[in-house]
Amino acid sequence: MVPSSAFALGIVRAIVSGTFLVSVAVTSFSALGSLPITILRPTGAMKLLPWSFYDRLLTPGGMTLLKWAMVLSLLLSAIGFLTSISTKTSLLFVVLYQGLVRSFGHFNHDEMIAVYCLAVLAFTPCGDAFSIDARLRQAKRDRPLWAYAYPILLMQLLMAWVYFSSALIKLRVAGLDYLSADNLPALSILHSLDNLHDTHFRLAFWLPQVRSYLPVVVGLVLVWELLFPLAVFWKRIRWWILGFGVLFHLSTLFFMNIFFPHQLALYLIFINWDGMVHPPGRYANGQRR
Amino acid sequence: MIASKLTNFSASGDPRDRRLILKYAILTAAIVLPLVWAFLSVRNVYPFAAWNLMMTGGDLERGHTYCILRGETVAGETIDIPPIGLTNAMYSRTWTLVNATINNQSFKLESIHPANAELIQHAGGVEKLPAGARIPDLLETWGRLYNSRWPDSSPQRLKGIRLDRYRWEGGSYSNYQNFVESWRKEL
Repeated sequence: MVPSSAFALGIVRAIVSGTFLVSVAVTSFSALGSLPITILRPTGAMKLLPWSFYDRLLTPGGMTLLKWAMVLSLLLSAIGFLTSISTKTSLLFVVLYQGLVRSFGHFNHDEMIAVYCLAVLAFTPCGDAFSIDARLRQAKRDRPLWAYAYPILLMQLLMAWVYFSSALIKLRVAGLDYLSADNLPALSILHSLDNLHDTHFRLAFWLPQVRSYLPVVVGLVLVWELLFPLAVFWKRIRWWILGFGVLFHLSTLFFMNIFFPHQLALYLIFINWDGMVHPPGRYANGQRR
Repeated sequence: MIASKLTNFSASGDPRDRRLILKYAILTAAIVLPLVWAFLSVRNVYPFAAWNLMMTGGDLERGHTYCILRGETVAGETIDIPPIGLTNAMYSRTWTLVNATINNQSFKLESIHPANAELIQHAGGVEKLPAGARIPDLLETWGRLYNSRWPDSSPQRLKGIRLDRYRWEGGSYSNYQNFVESWRKEL
């Protein structure tokens, strides 16, 4: 069920690095570097860095330099060139950058699963296939299949943890009050009043009209989050669970103006890339079982 | 199939495989253990996340404040300016950036930026600072970024930029727009 070839792990490397590459490429780092450093509030591990470091980094020039270093590193990682180095430098840059934007705003969760996947890839043989490195290498790497299957399984389990733990925390903190009829409309309207969100959809204002049905909707979302780990282990319902996930994230976009594009892009790690490219029973690169 | 692949972990006697198993065990522990700790303590400590977003849901009875960024053009128009178009790196985070700045959060850190420490000293204490002490700096940045997209002669350029704060009193699905206060920066 979990893809187990060097090829599949190489595809996942390209997806994760490519997601960050696109995201960084379309972002204005010089504008970020224009923000006043005096509103920065270093969070978590970012507190370990001294203010003198931020003073140098947080300038339009410093941030533009960081951007191009990230673009180069993520590009090399996506195409699989100098993979064992480029995946590690990509992880370092991405952790720094994501920490920086969270130090201005809040600890939002969209990119975090992709950060963890990048960490997994940085320490696994993800350049053994579907990479420039593999093309340049004369001999094929002889590794057991689990060397490629386990990292993919770990990434899928981390994605399942995101949803599963999210449901458990809601139940722990709010209990059954989470199913109150006003939970969803009040939250959605709150996120639709300002112009500081990234989109300005107004569908939230329609929700009070259907508030009596909303506890069922919220309950269904909780059940879906709790069942998400089944997507890892049970192929038959995997696409239903992921399909519901796409619907869920689109709903938060249109009703709450909150979207998780990085997390959605990483649903691609659930595709059995081996099955799409190699007929069943055959393995790429003649790897050991 | 997953089970058969994973049980093959122990079947190999190759030292290289054993090293890889150890490496994978360390990698897994280094990621999973802090995540479990973050979950149990319901705390986000970057880079480890507790997925606690929206954990308490919405509360109709509680009032909420929110902000709208507006610009005053040279032509005399007042226009809404969504900041995501100016600093898109702050995607999904702009509203908390603004709220934290209004609440002077950057003055309440264990380690404060020297310029903020100076301002506190000048004011005679954090509590003496006005709300949003650094909002004018933020507005100036956004105003400058906006104006940099227009030629100097354009009537679309801003002569002023302001952050208007409103309150939804709560209790009902109405009465959303009660003006609270405004910060303005002349450009």
